[in-house]
Amino acid sequence: MSEFYKIGIDVGGTNTDAALLCDSEVVALVKVPTNHNDLLSSTMQALHKVLDHYEGKDPLQLHLSTTLSTNAIVEGRGAPANVVAVPGPGVNLKSLEFPFPILELGGYMDHRGREVSPLDLHQIAGLRKALGEDEARALAIVGKFSQRNPSHEQRLKAELSKWHRGFISMGHRLSGRSNFPRRIVTTYLNASIAQHQLDFLGVWKDVDRAPLGEILILKADGGTMNLEDSAERPIESILSGPAASIMGVKALSLCQEKNYVIVDIGGTTTDLAAVVGGEALFERDGATISGYKTLVPAFLVRSIGLGGDSALTYEEGQGITIGPRRSGTPVCLGGEQLTPTDAAVALGLACLGSQEKARQGWQRWGATLGVDGSSLARRVLQAFTRQLRQAVDAFYEELENMPLYTIQELLHPPELRPTAVVGLGAPAPIFIPALGEDLDLPWEVLSFSAGANAIGAAAARATVGVTLRADTERGSVTIPEMGYQREIHRPLFFSIEKARQLAEEKTREYANFRGYDATGEVYIVEEESFQMVRGFRTVGQTHMVRTQLRPEVHRVRGRTK
Amino acid sequence: MTEVGLVFFPAFDWAISHDHPERQERLLYTRDQIQEEGLFDHPSIREYRPRLATDEEILRTHVVLPSLHHTVAESHRIAAGGTIVASDLVIDGLVKHAFALLRPPGHHANRIVHGSRGFCVLNNEAIMVDHLRHRLGADLKVAIVDTDAHHADGTQDIFYNDPGVLHISLHQDGRTLYPGTGFTSERGGPGAYGQTVNIPLPPGTGDEGMLMVMERVVLPILKEWKPDYVINAAGQDNHFSDPITNMSFSAQGYAKLTELLSPDLVVLEGGYSIESALPYINVGLLLALAGLDYSKVQEPVQRLDREKQTKSLTEQVVRVCDEVIDFWQHRSEVKLEEVFGAGSLFQRQRQIYYDTDNIYESQQEYIRLCSDCAGWRVIYTSSTKARDLVGVVLLPWKPCQACSVEAREQQGELLADQRFSQVICVDPAANLHQV
Ligand SMILES: [Zn+2]
Ligand SMILES: [Zn+2]
Repeated sequence: MSEFYKIGIDVGGTNTDAALLCDSEVVALVKVPTNHNDLLSSTMQALHKVLDHYEGKDPLQLHLSTTLSTNAIVEGRGAPANVVAVPGPGVNLKSLEFPFPILELGGYMDHRGREVSPLDLHQIAGLRKALGEDEARALAIVGKFSQRNPSHEQRLKAELSKWHRGFISMGHRLSGRSNFPRRIVTTYLNASIAQHQLDFLGVWKDVDRAPLGEILILKADGGTMNLEDSAERPIESILSGPAASIMGVKALSLCQEKNYVIVDIGGTTTDLAAVVGGEALFERDGATISGYKTLVPAFLVRSIGLGGDSALTYEEGQGITIGPRRSGTPVCLGGEQLTPTDAAVALGLACLGSQEKARQGWQRWGATLGVDGSSLARRVLQAFTRQLRQAVDAFYEELENMPLYTIQELLHPPELRPTAVVGLGAPAPIFIPALGEDLDLPWEVLSFSAGANAIGAAAARATVGVTLRADTERGSVTIPEMGYQREIHRPLFFSIEKARQLAEEKTREYANFRGYDATGEVYIVEEESFQMVRGFRTVGQTHMVRTQLRPEVHRVRGRTK
Repeated sequence: MTEVGLVFFPAFDWAISHDHPERQERLLYTRDQIQEEGLFDHPSIREYRPRLATDEEILRTHVVLPSLHHTVAESHRIAAGGTIVASDLVIDGLVKHAFALLRPPGHHANRIVHGSRGFCVLNNEAIMVDHLRHRLGADLKVAIVDTDAHHADGTQDIFYNDPGVLHISLHQDGRTLYPGTGFTSERGGPGAYGQTVNIPLPPGTGDEGMLMVMERVVLPILKEWKPDYVINAAGQDNHFSDPITNMSFSAQGYAKLTELLSPDLVVLEGGYSIESALPYINVGLLLALAGLDYSKVQEPVQRLDREKQTKSLTEQVVRVCDEVIDFWQHRSEVKLEEVFGAGSLFQRQRQIYYDTDNIYESQQEYIRLCSDCAGWRVIYTSSTKARDLVGVVLLPWKPCQACSVEAREQQGELLADQRFSQVICVDPAANLHQV
């Protein structure tokens, strides 16, 4: 049997990690510093370094988790894009103060996707002038309730495509969820970073790709997408870093518990994620990036300003506080300011730089406070554990306050609390055992804890999902992500079972169409079904089924080949 | 501090019966609209989860027969608990206003509960008021402004003789709609005379009339009475599209009313135009409560011109306003003995019908006329459901020494009386519900 090689690359804030996997084994793990001015060169450097370990002949798959889109948004480097919205009545869009201009068009779609008033064709004719001279500027088209009836968005695109030459993004294609302001933001950002993504893809076309085969991009939900998709929906590649870590845990962890907390400790921040019933939790609506609330499906991750390189402050009466600011280089590596990492090094819990320098550092600080240097270092480690534990508690409190809408759920809320801790990130071996002890939970530090993100990227697989909504009184069924809208021929017989069946079928069709393996299990993420009664008579039913092709990971063994 | 705390609970798995207006679907479209408008994650609005009200929290307000566990379902406990969560948010300063957008409703539930009346079992606003007093003290002054199309007869019953509560109900005239009460002549018991304010409005009253009542009657009364908290029992069945009433209010009107009233707490009551009205009223109400722009909120189906308020109807509304405000201004001149008699006890008999559960209740009530407090009350109650006679002794929130002693004596007498199968004594300030 031929061996199957894959490379995963995760471009992080400090380092770029690359992993080479052969089937379920890690062949190599390399690390290069990230060059923020030239992410591509860091990626290439890591790629070439890891390829040195490849002796095969066959093309190998590359999974990329880049910070390209994330950075473009965070640093405000997206291209200007025009937004054309069909808000209908409701919240005044102007009052929401979007940081980009929106052209509003007349037209009204109601909550069931019924057209109350048609698009204002007159206004469409005037759009060319309103949008200015730049016919190539990326365009976002977004309608309220377009996920229930995309026809206004579709019509607008058809009209505008007659003269517009640039990228056009339609809201309903990006998400089937309800939230008009988020849909506007998501579509706008998608349009705004489209050119960046195209440039990026262009570079990959030009480089000597051998021995690379297919290139896939990691998404915020831990799945992958191919390059064609990433050109259409670049927004889905944001926040892939935290997703890579979670996929790393899913690939590597030996934890058998149904519920556990993932603690990814980095230099500046620590990311928390929750696994419940064996699956990592997702954001209710979508990812938030740099203050932008989007509909991009993403793992629920909370970041706290606590890491190995966090700054320390001492206050009389308060004791030691760690973070949220980042300190410079640790003292053990020749820096000026002591960090939690220095505490671990001085106490012999970690090997990094000069233990002697770290020890002297603590003694100097201890002398000014009138305490022994090593006990001060120990106190810092205790403070780290305490702050981490408080963050974990606050995180679960937040989860436990998520709204519930049925009596059954409220009476029997899902059990969310973890029964184990799984840690990763370079400082994890230092802090995770203490956290586990403090929470009185079994703990695990991932093997390859410092490169688990790259392994996660390599182990990820494609994710595809759809939102099906059927309204048997209206006699229509819609799958916005596919632009699918059909009449139901025998509405009386369109039961929830029928809706599930169609949703599964369409999920596979959609996956195939986009070039993915559609043989995996299609599971139902969310479902709703209501009888519609008017005047004491049942007139129809409304069903909503949200599916997902199960985002399997390849299990990876925790040792090198 | 967040502007608005939203305790949203649509109870998607609960109905009175399959095709009843109180069914799973009722708040579905409201949820869809609020979600699509992005209001669940608007920076000025924060969503909270309700909880179940405890026995203690319910029994501070209600006497439930034959027993709490027999009559009160989980759905009722969650609705009541949600209003308690909402009050705590405001008391604790986490939010400026809180909106308990939940079901089932409560304003037809009386003090004594034998079953469900007008879709209500527990009175959510009343439990809220008593929770506020439990936390903040018996001196608290709370005003309830009930804007549901139906007369809030349950809330009136509970606070009828309670000097700590001002109860104002705006509703479609009782001669034309369930429950058939709420006339201007119903003004409260001897302990709180004038603090029950009924404003019956002619069928067809629209935005103009409702806002006129707010400006001419409700706001001046509130300004004078100076409540510590204002609760809006926000029934939404006065909308022009509501299937079970005949009023002509709109989403814009409702938002304007909310802006004028700026209530600390809002509790959803009725409202059964689940597609054409509720989604828009609730979006408008939330925006107005949060101080945001609601000018663009509009129903898909517009009010017909003939549904707009006529001139003669406006004149009728003016007359009601004049009558109510005139009495309010002269309420202290009323000689109570002319209304309630000169003796030491005032008594009344009542027959109460529970339409939802088809139960008839008979009550015989005695109120101690006391110049130092609102006076103790004794109620004999029996119903077609629990035929045995039950005796209830109620103490006011701030009883005088003499009434406290006498109430105990009353309790003793009832206990000795073979006619009563059960005697219940409620002393809310002492947090006591004795069976
Ligand atoms: Zn009502
Ligand atoms: Zn007294």
